[in-house]
Amino acid sequence: MKRLLMISVAGALAAMAAPAAATGKMSCDAPKASWKSIDALQAKLKKDGWKLRKAKVDGGCYEVYGIDPEGRSVEAYFHPVSFKTLLISRRGQVLFKAK
Amino acid sequence: MVRASPSLTVGKALLWLVLAVPAAAMLIDRLVDPEPWLADYIAASGLWSARLLILALCLTPLQLLLGHRRWLAWLIRHRRAIGVAAFLYTLLHLALYALDMGGSAAIADEAKAPSMIAGWLAFAAMSVPALISSDGAMRALGAGWKRLQRFAYPAAALTLVHWALVHDGLSEALLHVVPLALLQAARIAKVFTTKRMYA
Repeated sequence: MKRLLMISVAGALAAMAAPAAATGKMSCDAPKASWKSIDALQAKLKKDGWKLRKAKVDGGCYEVYGIDPEGRSVEAYFHPVSFKTLLISRRGQVLFKAK
Repeated sequence: MVRASPSLTVGKALLWLVLAVPAAAMLIDRLVDPEPWLADYIAASGLWSARLLILALCLTPLQLLLGHRRWLAWLIRHRRAIGVAAFLYTLLHLALYALDMGGSAAIADEAKAPSMIAGWLAFAAMSVPALISSDGAMRALGAGWKRLQRFAYPAAALTLVHWALVHDGLSEALLHVVPLALLQAARIAKVFTTKRMYA
């Protein structure tokens, strides 16, 4: 039992060092050739009243961190082709999810 | 407990130096990164706060399991420093968060999210042992001191909830907390088996 415990502790410590993979919060499967640029998305969002902090690709979608037009600090996912809003969450609490 | 509380020994100074390494690494990263992002440092400071809190709570069950080890006894003697460092990383976590949010209205507005409720409660729970961490408080509180230090346990539980919810995923939080949970479970199991042996 003692040995088993030590092995699990060691295993957990080793796994702690593993790098983070895609978050899996949202996934999009549009072929990359059809994507519009992430800069175009940022320009559109700024026009809509967003303040952007960071934008990147996650799970084939565009993921954006920033302040939405309502002034909330959020994380949002957009479709890379249609720029449709897929998910908005604030501190882990989902505020909007596309059907 | 026989030895007088050591003033600044070499060991203690070294420990504080080690405890400051994550903060130094964050600072260097901030200076080197061409596009630093404040949220990364909020996450990092929270992570180190949780790690140190977990470490502090692992020491006693580790000792029960492993018996006397010099390194472990040393860490246990300096556990207060580890706990205080955990709280200092929490304060850094909060300061960076406040800086990122830019105002109390924005902070209050999102404080209702479950993850944030857990986070603020974790901070409150952690403040209790941190605020009574001085030698003076230890003497003044006597036997009550130990009991108040146990606020570290709800603090750890609430930290886990905050962590899991804010990152919408349990995996990273669990990886850190599972060793602690196993050690505490072994400690409780040991209490029961020992009792039965002497009953």
